[in-house]
Amino acid sequence: MIPLASRTSSAIPSIRPLVCRSCSSCTRWQVSKSWASPVRSNASRPLHTTAQSISDNAPFRKVLKEAAKKIKKEKREAPEVSRKHGQMKNSRVDDWELTVGIEIHAELNTAQKLFSGAATSTNQPPNTHVALFDVAFPGSQPIFQKPTLIPALRAALALNCDIQYKSSFDRKHYFYQDQPTGYQITQFYEPFAKAGYITLYPHDFPSGSPPLSGPITIGIKQVQMEQDTAKTVQQPPSTHLLDFNRVSHPLIEIITLPQIHDPTTAAVCVRKIQAVLKTVNAVTAGMEMGGLRADVNVSVRSRNGLPTNDQQSYSGITGLGQRTEIKNLSSLKAVEDAIIAERDRQIELLESGGVVEGETRGWTLGSKSTKRLRGKEGEIDYRYMPDPDIPPIYIDPDLVDHIRQTLPELSDESIHKLVDSQYNLTAKDASTLLTLSDGDRLDYYYEVVEQLRTIFVNEPAIHARIGKTAGNWVLMELGGLLKNEEWSSTIVTPQDLASIISHVLRNQITGRTAKMLLAMKFEGDQRPIEQIVSDENMLLRPLSRHEYEELARTLLEEKADMVRDIVEKKQVKKLKWFVGQMMARSAEGTVEPDKAEEVLRMMLKLSD
Amino acid sequence: MSRLQHASRQLDNIVRHSSLNAVVATPNRASILAAAESADNASSGHDVDSRSPRGRVILVKDNICTTEFPTTAASSILKSFKSPYDATVVKLLQDAGALIAGKTNMDEFGMGSHNMHSYHGATKMSRVAGEERSAGGSSGGSALAVAMDQCWAALGTDTGGSVRLPAAYTGTVGFKPSYGLLSRWGVIAYANSLDTVGILGNSVDSVEGTFDAINAYDPQDPTSLPLSTRSRLGQRKTSSSSLKIGIPLEYNISTLSPAVREAWKRSMRQLQERGHSLHTVRLPATQHALSAYYVLAPAEASSNLARYDGVRYGSRAEGIDGTPESVLYAKTRGEGFGSEVQRRILLGAFTLSAQAIDNYFIQAQKVRRLVQQDFDRVLRVPNTLVESSTEIKDEGVDVLLCPTAPTLAPQLSELQNQDPLQAYVNDVFTVPASLAGLPAISVPVDVAEQSRQPELKAQGIQESAGMQIIGQYGDDKAVLDVARELMEATRV
Repeated sequence: MIPLASRTSSAIPSIRPLVCRSCSSCTRWQVSKSWASPVRSNASRPLHTTAQSISDNAPFRKVLKEAAKKIKKEKREAPEVSRKHGQMKNSRVDDWELTVGIEIHAELNTAQKLFSGAATSTNQPPNTHVALFDVAFPGSQPIFQKPTLIPALRAALALNCDIQYKSSFDRKHYFYQDQPTGYQITQFYEPFAKAGYITLYPHDFPSGSPPLSGPITIGIKQVQMEQDTAKTVQQPPSTHLLDFNRVSHPLIEIITLPQIHDPTTAAVCVRKIQAVLKTVNAVTAGMEMGGLRADVNVSVRSRNGLPTNDQQSYSGITGLGQRTEIKNLSSLKAVEDAIIAERDRQIELLESGGVVEGETRGWTLGSKSTKRLRGKEGEIDYRYMPDPDIPPIYIDPDLVDHIRQTLPELSDESIHKLVDSQYNLTAKDASTLLTLSDGDRLDYYYEVVEQLRTIFVNEPAIHARIGKTAGNWVLMELGGLLKNEEWSSTIVTPQDLASIISHVLRNQITGRTAKMLLAMKFEGDQRPIEQIVSDENMLLRPLSRHEYEELARTLLEEKADMVRDIVEKKQVKKLKWFVGQMMARSAEGTVEPDKAEEVLRMMLKLSD
Repeated sequence: MSRLQHASRQLDNIVRHSSLNAVVATPNRASILAAAESADNASSGHDVDSRSPRGRVILVKDNICTTEFPTTAASSILKSFKSPYDATVVKLLQDAGALIAGKTNMDEFGMGSHNMHSYHGATKMSRVAGEERSAGGSSGGSALAVAMDQCWAALGTDTGGSVRLPAAYTGTVGFKPSYGLLSRWGVIAYANSLDTVGILGNSVDSVEGTFDAINAYDPQDPTSLPLSTRSRLGQRKTSSSSLKIGIPLEYNISTLSPAVREAWKRSMRQLQERGHSLHTVRLPATQHALSAYYVLAPAEASSNLARYDGVRYGSRAEGIDGTPESVLYAKTRGEGFGSEVQRRILLGAFTLSAQAIDNYFIQAQKVRRLVQQDFDRVLRVPNTLVESSTEIKDEGVDVLLCPTAPTLAPQLSELQNQDPLQAYVNDVFTVPASLAGLPAISVPVDVAEQSRQPELKAQGIQESAGMQIIGQYGDDKAVLDVARELMEATRV
């Protein structure tokens, strides 16, 4: 179920007839590309509770940095309060084991709604894509739209699930104005996918925070298909307008096992699932666009045998403490912060002799604690009932095989490939490449490598260095120039970068020259690389041994005091200053730093 | 007699008997008559199939969506509702040239056995002055309209006997086809897994003609039987010379009224005399069928009726609803639904609740399966939905013959303060076929001389009891054929 309270916005819709007859024949496909960058416009669905400044596509480091900044700022502003409510001392937290399970709801990327021929839409005028069944007209019936199964299967396969041959739909009853039938059609008794898992590697974590050295595997209990609800448009003080365009948009709900024991791991898990769903083109948008939301189940149990009621069992995992559910978290930061706040609340409660109640709690961004929404006695009994109108779905194993075989490469596979001897990147660089610009940077990298391999096809010695060198240039040198600009593969084409790198690999230009060359292309120099190199006289014209020695002698004589420091005080680092001076005093592209240092060492009788 | 003459007389009867409250929405008389006349003209000189609904007045139960008339399901919550689309069965009838002449009264959302729970007021059967009897429910309006010659045929819906029971009380023919043959697109759901469009008429011919016109696969109804399965049905021909008729012993209950039991016995005798053989059969799950039905139907109803909240259509309570102190829509739904509907919603909400579902809903589903297996065991024709073979077995019977209701139509005065459970008991003979999805028809069989009421006899009115023919899934034509023969055989 998509939680209710925050699924509203304050746009003002035009009033239109409720039912769009033409929707029954709508077959328009949304243009979607797996690597397409998210639309950053106001036209998207806004969620009024989530004025998020940080895009969920942003590197997680950045997200954490922002979060840290915020906490610092808050501490500055309200030191009293933060001391009281801030994060608990680690020693106390260490006495307790946290257990978290996550439910993720994601909007599937489909042309049709789940049970009608009406087209799905994200920013169409309100109530223009609504079939009779979507608004529960008397006598109307659901027709399962088979194509919606395809992205759902892609998602489930990417999460390593077992696809069930037979699955079925159930009604989950509750009253709310955004739910026209009075029930949500979901898969409670027989979901279409079960028993999957997702693996979190150290490189999935923000730098400095991987909790363990090895990978963590988190089980996925099931993936089910279900309907989205309508959008409520608030017109204060008391008017609620309803936009039924979103009603019955297909969703998948992904339920993890309660196998997460750390708030950051939970956020990383959500982020990774989101990335996987995007990679296989299963979903419309990420959290920042409201296309993905999470609920978390949180419990703690004492590590020191403190008598608590650790009698609970969830999804077959026993001995857990009483859990609470925090609903409708719509950003990674909210996931992490809400878990921390709820963990600390439960620990405090238990340590002061209290009892954790099974209840549903809410969290709003920026708050210090979770808030009780309803207790167990107030829990809705959803009265799950198999939908008598919708026949079971039988999924042909051949279809599953076909989808499995045509699934786009997942990030873990890409990283494994980039790290092994083919490319020789570090895991860190590999995952950075993967996350940057929604994967465009990785495509660019592959292209540069491809060009270089063609250039050096007959030079195996250089061949082995291509992957790592290209990685440095794409990430460090080109990345460093980017600063605030949006990434585009046309600023410096892969051909040009490959050409620059090839000059370096052949020792035709110095690294410094190559960087200059790159900067010129970045600034828009239209000349081909070869021409710039010859126009600007950039080719390395190496000095003779004698010339090197002459140059070095002159300098050593000028700075006798520094020579003493080096020879007597062993301040060998000062050698670098001489290397720099040798380069500075010669024409561009004539002095190589390695050779300069070697000559200096020889003359000062230093060992290597 | 021409179609125009029949139509004219039937439209007159709608007006004349308006106090019986069988018809709740009537059409433009002139346009109906014009259409009847043009049907006459088009067919003049040809041999017209007397079974064809072309140019015939047909009334439609008020829970079947029509764009021309309001569709209220006899509920206050839909009192102002007009459907933006026509039900598939209505469209098919119009395509066949039938004259859709109005809507008929019913129990609210199909919940009731006497047509007393209606926003439009009760339907009353009154054959002689002062008589006020139940027309049966929930398709009481359709049955009575047929009985009073207000139409050639009428559509009803049958969830647990809602077509057959009123047919039995009003002395008409009421047919519930196999589940899935007639489209439910546009039929307001009471209990989806049981709801079946049914047909009422004065003869098996008019019922069959109407059935043939609307028996078609509908892709808009996910429970409509697909063409591939339809092609496997009804492949056998009835050898009407000698059928094996099953007499289920469980239906001979102690509370069966003497008039009904006598009519049953006479039906057996007449069929035997025509060369058919009688065989007693046992359907042991029958005794639990009624309880199972009254768990399953309200469960589905509580779910189906959740949509009536006054937000998108239908009526809404005055003022603010869903205040923080009350449950959302409590006011609108409290005002909009009648007492019987509220009772069944509560029943259903309970049987689906976490604490009760295992003991009620799940158990009832098991009983339902047992009921179906009972039928499969005693019937010779294999159930196409369960077995791949279409071979007719040597063992078993062709059809079952049993009463439709334990009594003749009761007086409304007896029902006024009746316990709801007593009303539910009227469905005891009709519910098993509904649970199994089998075709079943009720035909009128005259009651014996000694059972006739003097005041009706004095007016020359012949009372009848409803006799039910039940066949295997998809064996609808055999059921209709036996029904036709039984009517001919028992006519006094």
